[in-house]
Amino acid sequence: MSARRTRSGPTLNFKAVLLGEGCVGKTSLVLRYMEDRFNAQHLSTLQASFVTRKVALEDGRRAQLNIWDTAGQERFHALGPIYYRGSDGALLVYDITDQDSFQKVKSWVRELRQMRGTEIALIIVGNKTDLEEHRAVAYEEALQYARTVGAQYVETSAKENEGVAELFELLTHLMLEQLSQREPDASPLRLQNPDTDALSNSEDSELPDPGDPAGQRSCCGI
Amino acid sequence: MSKAARPSLRLGQQDLKCRTGCGFYGTPQNDGLCSMCFRDVRCVQRKLKQKTDETGPGSSSTSQIAAGSLERRSPQHGHGHGHQVKKPEQDTPGTLQKKKFTAVLQKTLQAGAQKITQQRGHVPDPTEGQFLLQLRQLRIPDDGKRKLKLEIQRLDSEIWKYMNGNGGKNINELSDLVQNAYTKVSDIVHNDPSFEIATNEDRDSAIDFFEKVVMTQNHKFLFSPYFTTDEDSDVKVQKRIRQLSWITAKHLDCSIDEVNSEARDLVYNAISELVGIDSYYSPQEKLQCTWRCCRHIFELLKRATGGPASADDFLPALIFVVLKANPVRLHSNINFVTRFTNASRVMSGESGYYFTNLCSAIAFIEYLNGESLGISGEEFDALMSGQQPYSSPWESALLGCESLHLISENMKRMEMLQKKNALISSEITSFEKKLIDFQREVTERVDTVIAKAPLNLLPIKTPAFLIGQARAHLHNENEAGHYQANMLSGGTLTTQSLTDVVGSVKPAMASEDSGLSLKDTSMGSMGRLSPLHQNLQPAEHLFASPIFNYTAFDAVSLLEEPSSEGNTDVLMLGSEFQGGLTNINYDFDLSDQSGENSTADESKLNLDEFDPLAQTDSITQPPSVLDSTTDSLIDSEVPGTAVLLPSPLKPEVASYRGFSNFDIPSISCNTGDFSSLGQEGTEAPK
Repeated sequence: MSARRTRSGPTLNFKAVLLGEGCVGKTSLVLRYMEDRFNAQHLSTLQASFVTRKVALEDGRRAQLNIWDTAGQERFHALGPIYYRGSDGALLVYDITDQDSFQKVKSWVRELRQMRGTEIALIIVGNKTDLEEHRAVAYEEALQYARTVGAQYVETSAKENEGVAELFELLTHLMLEQLSQREPDASPLRLQNPDTDALSNSEDSELPDPGDPAGQRSCCGI
Repeated sequence: MSKAARPSLRLGQQDLKCRTGCGFYGTPQNDGLCSMCFRDVRCVQRKLKQKTDETGPGSSSTSQIAAGSLERRSPQHGHGHGHQVKKPEQDTPGTLQKKKFTAVLQKTLQAGAQKITQQRGHVPDPTEGQFLLQLRQLRIPDDGKRKLKLEIQRLDSEIWKYMNGNGGKNINELSDLVQNAYTKVSDIVHNDPSFEIATNEDRDSAIDFFEKVVMTQNHKFLFSPYFTTDEDSDVKVQKRIRQLSWITAKHLDCSIDEVNSEARDLVYNAISELVGIDSYYSPQEKLQCTWRCCRHIFELLKRATGGPASADDFLPALIFVVLKANPVRLHSNINFVTRFTNASRVMSGESGYYFTNLCSAIAFIEYLNGESLGISGEEFDALMSGQQPYSSPWESALLGCESLHLISENMKRMEMLQKKNALISSEITSFEKKLIDFQREVTERVDTVIAKAPLNLLPIKTPAFLIGQARAHLHNENEAGHYQANMLSGGTLTTQSLTDVVGSVKPAMASEDSGLSLKDTSMGSMGRLSPLHQNLQPAEHLFASPIFNYTAFDAVSLLEEPSSEGNTDVLMLGSEFQGGLTNINYDFDLSDQSGENSTADESKLNLDEFDPLAQTDSITQPPSVLDSTTDSLIDSEVPGTAVLLPSPLKPEVASYRGFSNFDIPSISCNTGDFSSLGQEGTEAPK
């Protein structure tokens, strides 16, 4: 991007929401991600519903990653828009041993695509790969679905710490890509980076496939 | 209520969604659009505007954009109003009793809204000096500070202009105006050469400062403006929360232990923070308050669950706290923050997350129904209308135990207070006793002191030489001396003093008992008082008696002197003599005070002493009169004497006038004078 930002511009600010039914392991994923990095010290922190991390990008810039956990209970489903408003990415987490949670993810995806179009990076996460023997949602099925809606698919195990770091790396990457595709001042939320390269606003409903094999690569459960 | 037909919270809200069909909720303020769509629409408009008039690109075009958008928005604005009116009818089924409130309250409140807003205008502006100080403390170059200040002033005046303009007002235009200013300031801070050397933190603090100053100073304009429905929403949500007072932590499935006193304390902390949001002016401070509130909740959840809490736990707990707190002007505060804080603040960062949670908690409260609480619609309705009090056996048992616990605690406290009370009252009685003792002690001491040192009045001793002096003096100024003048000035006093003198002197000379002599003098002085008042007689009478007395007395004294008091110094000067006399006079005064308990017996003595004097004066008349034994009789005698000597007086008056200068000092001398003379006078008969 522009040299000026690299020199002294504000750090990029990414917001990602964690969506998914209750008990699919959203919080565990976040905790694992933070814990892994900070060597278990994070457990002493007060809460796991909002975490923020600074990550270094490939081009040397730094980005701030804000991960917003949401309440997964069905009764709070309607409140979703309040959370993913203005977010750059969404992690849609389901339990591979629970078909219902996968159906829930589908409904989330529909909602997100309807409301946010393509300006949000979606990653469908099949969690609990340590419970492979109880799997209820086939890997291929999920992957197929993800492709049709222009999302990435990742399988993880928060318990075994498998694929977690990769998941968030992919997320950062996707959000960065999103950012570069978006029109610079389409949203006032992009105040921190006002001089993003003004690319043509791609209004296609499908994400242009970046050809990034990360999604497939990080399906480490299998 | 047709909640059974629309069981799901989501399904019931279709009418509320954005007009563009994006799926988000629209709001009446946004012309029925959701905030995102609304922004997009506005952005497109703004771009068009910018393209059409290429005049002010970049930073200086903010006001133009605002003005332009105002023009463009006017048709839509009208539409927005239409939408607003329609709204309450549309959303009847899903939103519980909302319709009733909107129908009634909008009418009543909108009229009063403007007035209320104006009343609220008395927000004490934090001193600008404070902000100036803070501006100085910002670690940015002076050039940048100047620019920042300029921007603050510009936005201030723009807001003011907008608020005082005549055109139709839309809160979103105002919000955009502010947000544009934020963008502009952010642009300046990050790209302006005057900020070149500033670090990123300093830049952020400069932007924060900008926001804080503008928002604090314009709080009165921007907080719940009269042309919004914020007030209505405030009242609505407050009523709603009041209706939902029966909700317990159990309904919300949250892990707050209502019966744990420690947990309760934390809940109270969170509640007080939440309520405190209203007391801050700037959006930052309000967000800070929210942040603290949520921190308390997380602390609470951590104790309850034993680990870092997730959103699954947090949101219900927050909803619970909001329900129990029922903060004032909830919507106004939320809207104020969402409209006028730097948009990035709400969308990122921890406080942004908490604020979003707060928003969703409020949304949940507004639209919750029986299903979302895990109870049937009928039960929910019954609970809402207050027909059915909520109670589950276990819950009420726990709460009952808690109440019992509270009762016992209170009883303990009462006992303690009772003890304290008893202690205080016993202290009071002991203190009273002490006071009485002290009083007694003081009186005793005073009594002993009085007993030890009684007031002893010593007899008046007239030094013998004074008599001689007086005599000598009289001798010197026999004819027209100032003594006569004194007597004239003294008036009635002289006659009285004469009697006093006579009374007092005699015992001294006779060396009788001191007490007796004292009483004599006192008697005389006592007697003097009453005649004094009675004897306010014509001057001629007054003159007559002293002269008469004097001359007679003088004659006697002069005659007797050599025989009785041979040792006195005859040649004393007048001045010394007077001094001596004043002393004597003083003694007499003392005797006056003590002489009140003198008896009638002594008066006889007094009179006896007087006898010779009177006899010497006028031998024929006085004896018969004086024998009747009262001081007043002396007075009655005076006119008599006056009558006797009418002719010599008249020349004396003239002479007196000549000596008028000496009047005042001579009064005292007069009495004293005669005391000394009296001594002689009394002496003479003996």
